[in-house]
Amino acid sequence: MSTQPDTTPPGAIAVYDERQAGILRLEAFGLVAVSIAVLGLVIFAFLLSKGLASAFTYRAEHTYNYAGIQMTDINAYIQAKKVQIQPISAEALTAYNEWASKNPKTVNVQVLNQYLGDDYNNTGTIFNYMAVYVSGGLGVSCEYCHNLQNFAAYDLPQKTTAKNMLVMQFEVNNKWVNNVPRPEGQPLYQIQCATCHVGAPKNWNKTLKASNPAAFGIEGGGLPYGYEMVDEQLLKTRPDPQTGEVNYYKVTATKDTPAGLDATYRNQNQMYHQTVALGVGCDFCHYGGYFASYYVENGSFKWPKAQARHMIGMVQDLAINWWPQMQFPAPETVAQPNCYMCHRGYVVPPGASNTAPQPAQVSSPLIKPLEELPLPKPITP
Amino acid sequence: MASEITRVESADWRTTRRFYLKFLEGLADTQIGPLYIGVWGILALVFFAVTVFVILFGYLEQVGFNPILFVREFPVLSVEPPPPSYGLKLAPLAEGGYWQIATFFLTLSIVFWLIRIWSRAIANRIRPNVAIVFTSAIFLYAAIYIIHPISMGAWNEAPGHGLRAQLVWANAFSIKYGNFYYNPFHMVSIFGLLGSCLLLAMHGATILAVVRLNAHREIDEAESSTEGTHRAQLLWRWVMGFNATATSIHTWAIAIAVVSMVAGALGVIFSGTLEPDWFQWACRAGIVPGVIQPGTTSVAACLR
Ligand code: HEC
Ligand code: HEC
Ligand code: HEC
Ligand code: HEC
Repeated sequence: MSTQPDTTPPGAIAVYDERQAGILRLEAFGLVAVSIAVLGLVIFAFLLSKGLASAFTYRAEHTYNYAGIQMTDINAYIQAKKVQIQPISAEALTAYNEWASKNPKTVNVQVLNQYLGDDYNNTGTIFNYMAVYVSGGLGVSCEYCHNLQNFAAYDLPQKTTAKNMLVMQFEVNNKWVNNVPRPEGQPLYQIQCATCHVGAPKNWNKTLKASNPAAFGIEGGGLPYGYEMVDEQLLKTRPDPQTGEVNYYKVTATKDTPAGLDATYRNQNQMYHQTVALGVGCDFCHYGGYFASYYVENGSFKWPKAQARHMIGMVQDLAINWWPQMQFPAPETVAQPNCYMCHRGYVVPPGASNTAPQPAQVSSPLIKPLEELPLPKPITP
Repeated sequence: MASEITRVESADWRTTRRFYLKFLEGLADTQIGPLYIGVWGILALVFFAVTVFVILFGYLEQVGFNPILFVREFPVLSVEPPPPSYGLKLAPLAEGGYWQIATFFLTLSIVFWLIRIWSRAIANRIRPNVAIVFTSAIFLYAAIYIIHPISMGAWNEAPGHGLRAQLVWANAFSIKYGNFYYNPFHMVSIFGLLGSCLLLAMHGATILAVVRLNAHREIDEAESSTEGTHRAQLLWRWVMGFNATATSIHTWAIAIAVVSMVAGALGVIFSGTLEPDWFQWACRAGIVPGVIQPGTTSVAACLR
């Protein structure tokens, strides 16, 4: 066994030790002094930051949403997505003017006058609505739905679908959107044709989905963003008719939670879907330390979570009751609704409106829901 | 001295059936072989091969035996445990049967590997410490894949076999049991994990610092401490005021690593059985404030 020659003279360690002990005493003094200084600095910075924080008090969720950070307007969205909008054609306008001069009062209007009032028995008022919301929202000219010789006729199947959609839009607004739990002062947005259609008559078709997955929120390829939100479980979940309690996606365990993690995986797929659909992070709706909570640490209420829960109920209603109205032209061609259908990556759907006329409640709507779903009990602070 | 004899003897049989890889110089021992195969080794390898085969076959079936898809989707492919409805029963192949078979053989192969390490240590006339310490890692594996699922009553609680599946499981497990960061056993386990990294780095750096003084000849050093050891120990006395000995540093290393594994395993085993919701535990323990219940204004007491 050969060892390297030791270069350290004997007794060196002891000398080191002694010399070092002296240095060490000085060092210890220096260390203590520096620590105190650093501690003082930290305390000072902390106090300063508290002062600064109170200057910029916690931003309420709805101010943050409407501060222009998340909002986008429909025209910007349509431009960004390069949606082809068909302007109202000259023939249609001529035909309409002819029709309006012959029929200043409407002939066969069944929906708009019921929800929006007697004014909608005037052809002129109908025209305004058609041009702004219907043609505008779908990005088509009048002849897409109308026989230009007779605006009152139902010659084209599109017009029948459009009529059903009008009923759907008003009923869903009345039942769901107008009842979203909201903090005081948050503007009320409503769904309209443009909310789902964003400038295209065919918008949620399965073939379109296959050819342009990005338009359907499947960015990032594959799982989990391509998640189909409406599954068997969601279709059969019901709010308790008495208490309004419901569990759509709750998973935090209690003593009686059944075994298995599949429910948690399902929850997470949905949550990822919601973040992609709204273009937000989990903390937009949650306190990340405890997802089951509706409050953050500083005690402020997470309105978006309460609103999102309500929206989950709405998507369920759309899937159960209104999906049949979307089956155009053939049944089963249309993908199930989900959050992305309206939200398109924004907190407030780009196609939603806060200027559209408010619908009235109609006691016997033209289309009866297949099943009267009770509303989940709204969660408020 | 007995250890002297062992060393000489082992050096003797090390000289047969071997070859040298020069490029390993500085990274590892350049001598490769002799490799002991043996019955436990064969069993472990065969069962591991079966595990890998079953998992890969499961993947291939999921991509319709398309090799391109297989490569592209590899990071997200997973052989999943059966859905909760099967409980602890055997499931059809595509619905978790592959997972059950793979997990069964994986467990066997791990156990045989343990026996192999044990029996080789005995044959080498050293204590089976490596095997004993390895059981702590196996305990954590068993807690996650076997003990916890059985005590909850469904294989579905276990992770799938796949790269993404592991991450997804860790996330879901934390969420279901109310945030794992607040699980005290998890806290201790993380302490052990980070602590063993720290300790290993300190030890490695210290020994390299005194290689000039032959401190890397750990066996001689442990038997009779020399210059290198003294200097290394002096370093830590100066820095921390105390130090490990050349022998005890290895005990420290084992202890902290075992703490990490065992605490982790207990944390998994107690989740859902003793405590379903660790955030609520932390609330009762006074670590976090209670959650405000909608309809009230102040922090209510802990939920459960
Ligand atoms: C997407 C289909 C669609 C498009 C596009 C459309 N309409 Fe209509 N239109 C309808 C439906 C549905 C009704 C019936 C409304 C009701 O019953 O409340 C209607 C009703 C009318 C009526 C009243 C007919 C009556 O019974 O008196 C007029 C007039 C009219 N539309 C004009 C237009 C004009 C002008 C345009 C183009 C700017 C247009 N529409 C575009 C679907 C459409
Ligand atoms: C809740 C979402 C939603 C709203 C709101 C909505 N639609 Fe639709 N609509 C759909 C879906 C989904 C389809 C099927 C589209 C497809 O096949 O891609 C559809 C199809 C149609 C079609 C048939 C288009 C075609 O050629 O296939 C017409 C016409 C239509 N909607 C009119 C309207 C009108 C008018 C409004 C406003 C009153 C409206 N929609 C509001 C979701 C909606
Ligand atoms: C748009 C709002 C929104 C976003 C964004 C969101 N969530 Fe949720 N989350 C909800 C709502 C609403 C519920 C409650 C559903 C219910 O009551 O059935 C929920 C429930 C949960 C639960 C179950 C809590 C319980 O009570 O058991 C977990 C866990 C969760 N979310 C995690 C996440 C994670 C992780 C993310 C980010 C990837 C996320 N969420 C993003 C709205 C959201
Ligand atoms: C049919 C269209 C539609 C669908 C589908 C839809 N939303 Fe909405 N969402 C809206 C509209 C319109 C608003 C604005 C409502 C308002 O102002 O009160 C809204 C508002 C919200 C808000 C409140 C945003 C704010 O102002 O702070 C949240 C959160 C939300 N939606 C979540 C969801 C989630 C989660 C889903 C899927 C489960 C979903 N939405 C599906 C139309 C939709």
